[in-house]
Amino acid sequence: MDILDYLKEERNKDWRKNLRSQIKTKDRTKTKKVKMPEENPDIRNTNNIEVNSGLTKEQALLEASRCIDCANPTCITGCPVGINIPKFIKNIESGDFLAAAATLKETNSLPAVCGRVCPQEIQCEEQCFYTTKLKLPPVAIGYLERFAADFEQNSGEISVPQVAEKNNIKIAVIGGGPAGLATATDLIKFGYDVTVFEALHEIGGVLKYGIPEFRLPNTIVDVEINNLKQMGVKFITNFIVGKTASFDDLRKEGFKAFFVASGAGLPNFMNIPGENFINIFSSNEYLTRVNLMNAANDNFDTPVFSGENVAIIGGGNTAMDSVRMAKRLGAKRAMIVYRRSREEMPARVEEVKHAIEEGIEFLNLHNPIEYFADEKRRVKSMKLQKMELGEPDDSGRRRPVPIEGAIEEIDVDTVVVAVGVSPNPLIPRSLSDLEVSKWGTIIVNDDMQSSIEDIFAGGDIVRGGATVILAMGDGRKAAIGINKYIKQKIKK
Amino acid sequence: MNIIMDFKSIDDILDFAIKNEQQAADFYNKLSGDSSVKEMKNTFAEYAKEEEGHKARLIKIKDTGEYNVKEEEVLDLKIGDYLVSAKTSEQMTYQEALILAMKREKAAYKLYMRLSEIAPNNNLKNIFKNLAIEEAKHKLKFEIEYDDIIYHEN
Repeated sequence: MDILDYLKEERNKDWRKNLRSQIKTKDRTKTKKVKMPEENPDIRNTNNIEVNSGLTKEQALLEASRCIDCANPTCITGCPVGINIPKFIKNIESGDFLAAAATLKETNSLPAVCGRVCPQEIQCEEQCFYTTKLKLPPVAIGYLERFAADFEQNSGEISVPQVAEKNNIKIAVIGGGPAGLATATDLIKFGYDVTVFEALHEIGGVLKYGIPEFRLPNTIVDVEINNLKQMGVKFITNFIVGKTASFDDLRKEGFKAFFVASGAGLPNFMNIPGENFINIFSSNEYLTRVNLMNAANDNFDTPVFSGENVAIIGGGNTAMDSVRMAKRLGAKRAMIVYRRSREEMPARVEEVKHAIEEGIEFLNLHNPIEYFADEKRRVKSMKLQKMELGEPDDSGRRRPVPIEGAIEEIDVDTVVVAVGVSPNPLIPRSLSDLEVSKWGTIIVNDDMQSSIEDIFAGGDIVRGGATVILAMGDGRKAAIGINKYIKQKIKK
Repeated sequence: MNIIMDFKSIDDILDFAIKNEQQAADFYNKLSGDSSVKEMKNTFAEYAKEEEGHKARLIKIKDTGEYNVKEEEVLDLKIGDYLVSAKTSEQMTYQEALILAMKREKAAYKLYMRLSEIAPNNNLKNIFKNLAIEEAKHKLKFEIEYDDIIYHEN
């Protein structure tokens, strides 16, 4: 069925009509947007407890009633995985929270994750009727998504989406992050025999190694992964495709197609003098050691050094995660050093707000240009160049320009570089026929198919560093592409 | 800049600049040839062509004595100024290649600005100033790419 027909048919069901008739649209729009309950900043910045504690039932019901169930639900156009947003929100309004979770899982295998980390404010919520037409705060779609997904996780009645009859065609998914998990979900639903190969010892990719517990608890991710296991997806950890086994080895094992979702695990460094001194980390290392290797737990022998004066270089979500983690690890001064001003920060507004509440310092319009070390080569200070924003260039972006002579030096004993990431080079280097861009991203067509016909790719290995939900959107698209390829090539 | 003291005529200066542009083109052609990534090969080949375009312009000036003066302000982000230089190799990443290119363009800019300062007449001063502007534009192009990709979240 065409997607628009499906949405129309769902909207015309009696229960939706009844709900719409119960409250007048005018009255729905008078209700104020709900506020997410949060832990106390002065306490939470000393522990790893999740900052947002989630909506109560009462809050969720009230917020769901704000949604006017538009005939033309523009919010869906802002969702990279195409969740039937009005339907799940109306499920909540009707009090059927499990049905809301099932609706989410029609197209999203990680709703509890996405409800927490998706930038809804620039996706579905930006396209909401309230935002575009009423110029009012949008329906809190992300909060409601999290509410429904959490309700299901806590209910003990977790639904397992239906899968088609097995066709015994083996597909390998390389990388157990958001893109890989989304592809695996759809392929298993189509009936394929899906194996996810993960290089690390845990499944989840950036969800586990990159995003801290206080923003996304690992247990939440594990529940969603268990759901995939129940659907029949196989997971193999500590397995590096391209090293542990080559693509040809896997072809011999009977795999008919591959989805490469190996992510952007290669940290970018600035390449300034002194960047190799001790206690200057990449954000990838710093966060992985805490999130995945229990570095902050005294009972483990894998500690990470985190000092008293910690500078994080960058202004994205990873920088915010790192600086807030530094604070939790005991930094007296946890600082963001960012070349532009607050307005240009790529981090979500909510993450910046939380960081400020937790006592993080912001040295905006500052750029490190050199590091200095003590006699043991441990970083002890950094030279900062003050910047100002130039006039907008052809792209409309204001570039930071150094202010002549405005240089200062500050003491630091730990530095975390979080300026950006690059695609993991391992797979592109292991396949000489694979076409890649100059930046190392895999080049794909509209079906997410690479220059090697049985290899598809998506997520950060194609985008070079994007959001969880965009990676998942790629994964879903690739599943359709792989299905099409198999039908054309294998089933002939 | 002792080299400048050896110039005996305008043609000498122009010949020097022509040689300099050819060296720049050779540099980018070498990067293009060394790279195993098609897109990197193409990108560096394009840069080489631009430098060859500069060379052709200088030859035309030398042959005809005609040139157009364009007064322009080019933004200097100074990204390349603070970076540690990279070494050329066949396994060179695009980031390393960009660092080399930024440093090379900055050096060329400084050279032309210096030539402009010591040029014996206004015509030549303007020619070199224009060439310096061209190099500054090249550097800005590389800096913007570095800013957008490597400093994506900075």
